[in-house]
Amino acid sequence: MGKKKKVILPPDLPVIGDDEIQVSDEDLEFIGRNREYAGFLTRLDTKSIDRHVTRVADHKEDELESLYEKRNRKASLLRLKEEEDKLHVDPVDALPVKTLDGKLEYRTADKLKSGDRTSENKSKDDEEDAGGLKLTKPEKRQKLKKSRKEAKKLAKEQEKENIGEEEKGNIGEGKLHTEVLAKVEEDLSSEELFRKKKIRLAEIGLQLLENPEENIKALKELLQICDDEDHNIVKLGLMSLLAVFKDIIPGYRIRLPTEKETEMTVSKAVRQQRFYESTLLRSYKEYLTKLIALEKQPSVHQVAVRCLCSLLDAVSHFNFRQSVLVSVVKNISSLDDTIRKLCCEAIRSLFLNEGKHGGEATLEAVRLIADQVKFHQCQLHPDSIDVFLSLMFDEDIGKSEAVEEEVRPKKKRNWRAQDGLKEVQTSDRKKNKQEIMTKTREEVSADFKAVSFAPDSRERKRMQSETLSAVFETYFRILKHSMDPSTSRSHPLLAPSLNGLGKFSHFIDLDFMGDLLRCLKKLAGHSNHNVSSTGTCLSVSERLQCCIVAFRVMRNNLDALNVDLQDFFIHLYNLLLEYRPDRDHGEVLAEALKTMLWEGKQHDMQRAAAFIKRLATFSLSHGSAEAMAALVTLKHLLQKNSKCRNLLENDAGGGSLAGLVSKYQPDATDPNLSGALASVLWELSLLMKHYNPSISTMATSISTMASMDPAHSQVFLSTASPLEAFTDSSLEQELLKTTGKPTPSSYKRRREIGNDFVIMDPYKMGNENVVDEDEVRRKLEDHFVVHKGIAENERLRRELNYTLSSISLFEDYKREKRHKKKGKR
Amino acid sequence: MAKKLGKKARKFAKKNLQSVMKRKRKLNSMFKKKSTPRRGNTDSLEDSKKLKHVQQVQEDPKGLIAEADVFSHHLGDIFNEQEEDLVEDVSESDGYLSEDSECPYISGSEDENCSEEKRDSVLLQEPNREIHEELANQKSKLDELCVKDPKFSEFLESRRSDLHKSRSEEIYSDEEDASSMDEDSIQENRTSNGCKVLTSSTVDVWCWLVMEQPNASVLTNVINGFRAACHYGVGSDEVSPQKIADREVFSKILTFILHEADDIFRRLMGISGSLNKDNILKVTNKSEWKTMRPLIKSFLRSSLFLLNQESDSQILMFVLSRLRSSIMFFAAFPSLAKKLIKISVHLWATGDESLSACSFLVIRDIASKFPSDYLDICLTKTYGAFIANCKFMESASSKHIEFLENSIVEIYSLDIQRSYQKVFFSVQQLASILKQALKTKKKDELKMIHSWQYINCISIWVKFVCCNFKNYDTQPLLFLIIGVLRGVAHLFPGPRYLPLRFKCVKMLNHLSLSCGVFIPVASMLFDCLEHKGNINADRSQQKQIDLSLSLKVPKHLLKSRGFQEASILLAIQLLSEHFSQWCYHVSFPELATIPLILLKRFYESTTLESLRRPVKRLMDQVQQNSDFIQRKRDEASFSPKDEPSVDSFLQLEKCNKSASFSRFYASIQQTSISQKAAN
Repeated sequence: MGKKKKVILPPDLPVIGDDEIQVSDEDLEFIGRNREYAGFLTRLDTKSIDRHVTRVADHKEDELESLYEKRNRKASLLRLKEEEDKLHVDPVDALPVKTLDGKLEYRTADKLKSGDRTSENKSKDDEEDAGGLKLTKPEKRQKLKKSRKEAKKLAKEQEKENIGEEEKGNIGEGKLHTEVLAKVEEDLSSEELFRKKKIRLAEIGLQLLENPEENIKALKELLQICDDEDHNIVKLGLMSLLAVFKDIIPGYRIRLPTEKETEMTVSKAVRQQRFYESTLLRSYKEYLTKLIALEKQPSVHQVAVRCLCSLLDAVSHFNFRQSVLVSVVKNISSLDDTIRKLCCEAIRSLFLNEGKHGGEATLEAVRLIADQVKFHQCQLHPDSIDVFLSLMFDEDIGKSEAVEEEVRPKKKRNWRAQDGLKEVQTSDRKKNKQEIMTKTREEVSADFKAVSFAPDSRERKRMQSETLSAVFETYFRILKHSMDPSTSRSHPLLAPSLNGLGKFSHFIDLDFMGDLLRCLKKLAGHSNHNVSSTGTCLSVSERLQCCIVAFRVMRNNLDALNVDLQDFFIHLYNLLLEYRPDRDHGEVLAEALKTMLWEGKQHDMQRAAAFIKRLATFSLSHGSAEAMAALVTLKHLLQKNSKCRNLLENDAGGGSLAGLVSKYQPDATDPNLSGALASVLWELSLLMKHYNPSISTMATSISTMASMDPAHSQVFLSTASPLEAFTDSSLEQELLKTTGKPTPSSYKRRREIGNDFVIMDPYKMGNENVVDEDEVRRKLEDHFVVHKGIAENERLRRELNYTLSSISLFEDYKREKRHKKKGKR
Repeated sequence: MAKKLGKKARKFAKKNLQSVMKRKRKLNSMFKKKSTPRRGNTDSLEDSKKLKHVQQVQEDPKGLIAEADVFSHHLGDIFNEQEEDLVEDVSESDGYLSEDSECPYISGSEDENCSEEKRDSVLLQEPNREIHEELANQKSKLDELCVKDPKFSEFLESRRSDLHKSRSEEIYSDEEDASSMDEDSIQENRTSNGCKVLTSSTVDVWCWLVMEQPNASVLTNVINGFRAACHYGVGSDEVSPQKIADREVFSKILTFILHEADDIFRRLMGISGSLNKDNILKVTNKSEWKTMRPLIKSFLRSSLFLLNQESDSQILMFVLSRLRSSIMFFAAFPSLAKKLIKISVHLWATGDESLSACSFLVIRDIASKFPSDYLDICLTKTYGAFIANCKFMESASSKHIEFLENSIVEIYSLDIQRSYQKVFFSVQQLASILKQALKTKKKDELKMIHSWQYINCISIWVKFVCCNFKNYDTQPLLFLIIGVLRGVAHLFPGPRYLPLRFKCVKMLNHLSLSCGVFIPVASMLFDCLEHKGNINADRSQQKQIDLSLSLKVPKHLLKSRGFQEASILLAIQLLSEHFSQWCYHVSFPELATIPLILLKRFYESTTLESLRRPVKRLMDQVQQNSDFIQRKRDEASFSPKDEPSVDSFLQLEKCNKSASFSRFYASIQQTSISQKAAN
């Protein structure tokens, strides 16, 4: 195998041995001092060298070892020098190409680094024979993030030993670079300056990504760049810092050592780690303060907010989350659409990815939003409340815990039982050993729990209930505010909060239920027409939504109790009159019909009849979609209330069922008092003439329901809900239906083609044609005169031109004559 | 004999010796190039230009080629026709039609030409006179030069050809700029050295001759004269063989021909009764057709040329109406017929009221009497011209646009079988534009719908459906149009777009009435009842707002009282129109329930007395009718599902229009009409 490889690889491949590394250090310093001299090295074909290196890296360890043994002898000093130098120079080479978007530069850095690492590791392998640690750096970093702290520290120490020396040179080079930059800076035009700064930014960013532990100090410089006067540079700086922080922030929360701890003597590695962490934390803090400060400047506002949002999204577990959250929430109802959307998205992702931060951030965010709502007196953009809809509440938290509790002892018992069986055979020593094992196991699991981010279920439940209460507090605040007659302003938050209430209705505490229903009842009753009395007016959609929410709440919580929501029915009954097709949302109406009439149980025949009548009347004045929704509901009601089918018959004896009111009162406000049972559904006969074929067939099918056998009626129960019916026959659908249908017209009665006028008055058309011929004659004469004049004019002009050109020819003629004379002479 | 021989030879050559003819033409042009240097430039001209050399050869004394030799014998009337026949046949494939190119006069007229050599002196207009003086000056200068140096005159002669060349080029470019129809005039450009002057007495004699002894030979001259008159003043005057002596001659020959040509043709061909597309074939098979064809063609061509040249609507109308009587002759000349369609569609779309009507009749005649291919052309052309001309709606143009709409409906209704596909496609196009706008709500797309073009197009198809629903099954089209109208109304909510919405409602009412289907429009009108204007707006800016001429209300008028009043009154009118359709229907009380409740609410809230009264009146009428129906149906014994009984309910009253609501609606209509008239 090894031989094979050898054949493929070029014989003089550079190999880095342990002794060579020492030389390389010296060389590095040398090159650092004499940059100009070493300049030629930068022009080397790095790619091919890269390839060689990575190829070597592909080998397995033992192969590598054997390769080393063979090649150590061959390797020349010079080549090694080149190799080492290349590794440092390379990032600079790559600079003009890379942009600030993190991924690309990250990859190139990795590649380089992997080359670097492998050579490093090769030497390490020889020395320490610790093959397990042979990982490329990004892999390592990834692993570290996940692994425990101790393990990471160990790894870092090792790593530091590995790279330490090399990095020194690196930093030295960086310093030199800045010096040169400072010198030349003055001569540069602003554009070039900008370019240089950009390059510098990229350089530092790359360094940081390459090796954050060593280059952590460079964060400071980056932060300084962000103080630049040029907004573009500030923006770029902020963005690159964001990329860097996103990458290097560890997966845990940094706890700074206490004073006592700092006093303690610790190993070098720990000290270094502490330094790294504290620097990181300090710069992060500085970065955040900068962001929060810049966020107020209009020019960089958007960038700052974007950074904050992505920080919140990416590192919600890290320190200073609170301050990030505060500023994001502050912008959640910004007037700027993009900013608002960014913030809302960030908060949403916070809610959705609770695993990252264990739910604490959710609670904080909800509380902050609640405060925000309170502070602004409910005058915020609806989006800020809409984010609540993304909240996820786990109903099973408590339950699963309980089940676990139950299961665990059982298991133990089982185990013990098994133990008992074994006890006979095993000795006490073994038993002891087992006990110790279980003990350690429990300890470990306890430790794990403490360390891991998943808080135990009790904690989660507490957090969830707190979140819920904050959410509902907000919702109730908005409801209360909408009811408050003193504030006659608009209620932007009402609709989303009603949505939220509808969604989370099953979490509402029973204690609140009464209050809530009272609120909703009152809100649903607010109308435009008693504005003066209440001082508020809600749109029809909002009021319908109130009714829907009330029904949802009742259904989810008190299904068994079957409380009659008479008031809401009255509201719906009257709201049907208020509905305007283009102003209000048809979907909400259909939803209301669905939740209140279609799904619910109707025991009250009077009320059902009243709604049947009203819906039929309603469909006479509204478009197809609304009419269809109404008719579907109507049909459903008729199916469920067989007695109401009397409405379909013009029966003089209908009065027997009429109850209290013997005559139908169309403008009654209470469905129970409308006396609808005494009426006949004449509407259907007009609806049968409806232009929309689906409505007319629906009307026909409803009108024939009376003769239907009640026993069979269940079979015909239509499955489409009012909402579906609404969307099915909406305008868009109506337009869609007829497209692409080439319809040849089948004629009923053929008319003689082209004989008589269809729309015009033939008599009038016949009279249109009288022309006064004398007039025409006169006009023709005028026409002639005009044209004659024009023609004459043209002719004269042409003549004139001709004559003039003839005269000018005379000059030619003279010239020619002279020429001839000359020729003769 | 010679005549006959020539004729036969020509025919033979034409039929069998195509290549010979071509070669001949080629030779001619080459020959011309050599013999007459002033035409040296012509070889670059196209085929059509070459053609004229063929003709020129015939009178050129030096044209001694074999075929040309035959031709040269036949300088006569017959030959002219022959010539034309040939030219026409050759050139028809090019779409280029030639006419009687040379005009040798019959003896009688030529005598007169000589005797009456008194050119009537047209008074030179001011600019012309100046040029004339200038010209005289320059000429005398030139003469002086020539006198001074006689050699110069020789030199000038030698250079003259060059000058001529440049001159003729000038002419060509001039004429190519002008319409293609006067291309043929170039032919005569140089052929006629001695031009014949048409005088009043010549024309009189000709006319008399034509009327008295119908004979093709005189007619040819008259037609040629007509042709010259039609082409008069488009640069071909100086080169045409016949000169119009004075304006009297001009108008006389034009009116005479236009007036009598149709009769003369018919008489000569022995046609009695009207022509239609079946017997036109018979006519073209007649023996007389051969002799008459070139004449008729020349006449039609010249008339079309005149139509193109003229701008006075009276003259145009006269020409059009005369052409209409001989419209069937166009069927024999497809390219002319297409030209006629083009011209008349243009005049129909842009002309004034009576001219437009006149042109419409021509178009309609073509569409109905010609083979159906022409109908298709008419359908597309008229619709296209309408779209191009209905972008703006003003009080002046609204009537014209309505006329255009009606005429399109007329033409499309001529043959539903053929036009239905086009209509359906067009409505689908409108619907797809709307769909796109509903989806994206982009400003451009909204603007496209919110334009008169879009609305007027819908209006046409609404009328079309209304007219033809009874006789044809246009159910899918009806459904689609209603969808489009509702969609447009839905797309533009808000009081600013109320005029647009009223238009849609009006069209829906119209559809509902003529098609007998129920279209609920009440909800589309409720909005305006709730739009609250500023009641206290100062009365000074009260202006009568005509909602029919706008689609969108300007912002400053939105709150004005005038707008509110106008919109409510219009809404009342539309609502009562809707009610009046169903006021005998058994479910009228239910139909009126919700509107009545809302009207009542409006009545209670509004303080404008000018609105309270009409609203109250409508409410009372509706209530009254409602009670009336209620009473009637209490007596009835059928149920809603019993459709035939429902349909027959109160039919008698409906026929008599005896219900008070019908009277009420009639009065409302009356007032709106009188208001419009007042405006």
